[in-house]
Amino acid sequence: MSNPAVKAPPARKLLQAGLLIVISGVLFVATRVVPEMHGGSGTIAAVGFLLLAGTLLSELVELLGIPHLTGYLLAGILAGPHVLHLIDHRSVERLSSVNALALALIAMAGGAELKMELLKKGFRSLGWATLLQSLLVPVLMTSVFMAVRPLIPFAKPLTLSALAGVGLLWGIMSVTRSPSATLGILSQTRAQGPVARFILTFVMTSDLVVVVLLALGLTVARPLIEPGAAFSGAAFRRLAHEILGSVSLGTTLGIVLVLYVRLVGRQLLVVFIALGFGLTEVLRYLNFEPLLTFMVAGFLVQNLSSQGEKFLHAIEQTGGVVYVVFFATAGADLDVPLLRLLWPVALILTGSRALISWGVSRLAGRIANDPPTVLRWGWSGLVSQAGLALGLGSLVAREFPSIGGGFRALAIATVAINELVGPVLFKLALDRAGETSEEPRLTIPSLRPPPPPVVE
Amino acid sequence: MNALLLLMGLLVLAYIGSFLVGGRALRGIGLPSGAEYVALGFVLGPHVLGIVERSMLESFEPIVQVALGWLALVIGIDYGFAGERRVGPKSLALGLTSALVTGGAVAAAVMAVLSRVALVPTTMDGWLLAGGLGAAGAETTRHAVRWVTERHHAKGPVSNLLNEMSHADDVVPLLVLAVLFAATQKEAHVPWQVPLYVWVSTTIALGLVLGAVAALLLGGEFTLHATWGVLFGTSMLAIGTAARLDLSSLSVMFFMGVALAAVSPHHSLLREAVAPTERPVLLPALLLAGARIDLNVLRSRYVVIVIVAALLARVLGKFLSGLLVRVTRSARGASPAVGLALLSSGALSIAIGLAFALRFPGVVGDTVLLASALSAIFGEFVAPATLRRVLEGVGEVRAAAPESTPALPEVP
Repeated sequence: MSNPAVKAPPARKLLQAGLLIVISGVLFVATRVVPEMHGGSGTIAAVGFLLLAGTLLSELVELLGIPHLTGYLLAGILAGPHVLHLIDHRSVERLSSVNALALALIAMAGGAELKMELLKKGFRSLGWATLLQSLLVPVLMTSVFMAVRPLIPFAKPLTLSALAGVGLLWGIMSVTRSPSATLGILSQTRAQGPVARFILTFVMTSDLVVVVLLALGLTVARPLIEPGAAFSGAAFRRLAHEILGSVSLGTTLGIVLVLYVRLVGRQLLVVFIALGFGLTEVLRYLNFEPLLTFMVAGFLVQNLSSQGEKFLHAIEQTGGVVYVVFFATAGADLDVPLLRLLWPVALILTGSRALISWGVSRLAGRIANDPPTVLRWGWSGLVSQAGLALGLGSLVAREFPSIGGGFRALAIATVAINELVGPVLFKLALDRAGETSEEPRLTIPSLRPPPPPVVE
Repeated sequence: MNALLLLMGLLVLAYIGSFLVGGRALRGIGLPSGAEYVALGFVLGPHVLGIVERSMLESFEPIVQVALGWLALVIGIDYGFAGERRVGPKSLALGLTSALVTGGAVAAAVMAVLSRVALVPTTMDGWLLAGGLGAAGAETTRHAVRWVTERHHAKGPVSNLLNEMSHADDVVPLLVLAVLFAATQKEAHVPWQVPLYVWVSTTIALGLVLGAVAALLLGGEFTLHATWGVLFGTSMLAIGTAARLDLSSLSVMFFMGVALAAVSPHHSLLREAVAPTERPVLLPALLLAGARIDLNVLRSRYVVIVIVAALLARVLGKFLSGLLVRVTRSARGASPAVGLALLSSGALSIAIGLAFALRFPGVVGDTVLLASALSAIFGEFVAPATLRRVLEGVGEVRAAAPESTPALPEVP
């Protein structure tokens, strides 16, 4: 169900469609006249095109009740190297540097959305959901993976123990959610209510759980996949260093941001760009987790100062542009031929994951005595997957080269499906739960000055 | 120094620039042309300290292109306006004539020198060098006249006229740039023969179409009130497409700005919104321009001769423009040196120099960049003082000690 407040008259939609055709035509002609790119010009044009086309297409698909985020993804898929080829592989690769900024903003916004009072209020619900989702989903998805072995080319030659090891890694990957998709939908719908609160807190905290589970999974899976390998605690030492370091640096960053917002409070755009590109590089060098660091910083600004709302507003203003490019690039990066090849098994795995997430969510909700709306729709935001799952797939490919290529390809195919279906489900659930706001939030600041206050 | 540190340095400069615009902390600091940042870039660059290496500059080329394009957009949106006022037809004609006379004088002087010395290998390179130096030397920076008039509280017909002229002359060098870039289309890119006028028309049309697209996205009842997103998106598309087609992205963006301002009902709001972004974008671009200056080009003494000829011709061109200004009723009493008050060059001139250096690496590009930087520095020494004297002479400035620059609008 689409929000009536954001419905536009047909003439406006026609104008949007016309402008979409014009900008597509400009880039189409340019790429056909000069097919070979030189320098970074292709990337510059790609950023502009994805931003405009993503925004316009998101407005158009809204007619069908489809969320903006899916519109951004669709724009990327259509313009990308596998369909219209308005944007080539090299540009998509170069655009991935935007991810650092987008993920920093997403993590800070996610942390800032986690208000202490909400966490306290939903602690029981969050605790049970985290515990059961983290335990049952990996175990059940490992079983599903092993069961569909005949359909997975790279799994066929594996021994039973190796299959169990790979299945375990797959199971852990299935626990990953998408904070970016969650925040994207919540930003568009301005949803407020128990379902939105539950999913936001669950998805943001689940990232931390995945980091821990991954370290555990790699330690257990290695001797199973590579028979000569010994059990090693090195992964846990790395994990402790990563978590403690990230939390410490995030705390420091949070304090600095509080002081900056309070004392200066201007030019946050430049500060965010510096953090997104500069600090992310430093964190990578130190082997810290950027997502966790920025999330802690955002959490501190929200909960240890009075600057939380101002901070969130600044992130929204900057993020509006960055998110469109981020998601549209993700769409352009989607490997359509691979999805065509692996879709049957990918569909089984994504369907099973959604079903298991739904079942576990119901179970956790019953134990925690969740309100009926959470019990009914609390699973809907758990379907989306994005960057974290892909990152995990790449990590497995690096750690286990013998099976990594196939594992990564299958991960990309399943993430593609979850990336497209998840946001639609989540928005649908928020609409049905009656939590979608009547007033749409503008993702990018308007040129028009705010109307003067009405004096009665 | 690695690329990340350079990026952080540029962000710091942009940050400082935003405060200079805001005028809260550093009011009154800085030259109107921003030549000091060119000098800073030169000192940091490969020739002096070597902190910013040449290879690093190449990796920053896309950022430079975007920065230059954005500056041209700001100039385009503001074109034909002096503050809130529209530039009158008389000032418009004088501004255009001044740019044509000066640019023409510079180009003619350079061609005259080149006909005697063998600095560049082909005739086309000669035209490029002459045209590039002419384009870079044609303008009078908008900020210089305003800087002097506001600093000294000048008010009167002469200061108005000169201010309006400086807001009217930008179209000439940008059209020349469009022609020069179109004339040097790499034929290997396009499988068929395309006449020059088609490429020039494409440059202008691309800017106008995307400007109209931006205006439609922003305007009327449209739900997408996404100013920055729309401006950023259309700008990036325009810059990237122009670069892909080997057209002048500066010219495309200028015409995009002109179209946007003409079509959008939010014209004045747009100008208010984008004007404060000029300084934060300009300072990093000027720094990179300074770092890009290659003094090796001076190993050929002919380059020195060409640059000196270009600078002298520029002085002559502006002087002649001043004589034309004195023909008008409003400036009849002004000193004959009034033209020298128009010698300030700045952002656009250096942007053209940098665009040339990127597009035509080697003698042509390096000479145009170096000449544009020297012209800006020379202008700083001559023009503001001359302008003040001219305005004192016509009684539009009291011969008292200057006060600090009034605050410019706050960044929204």
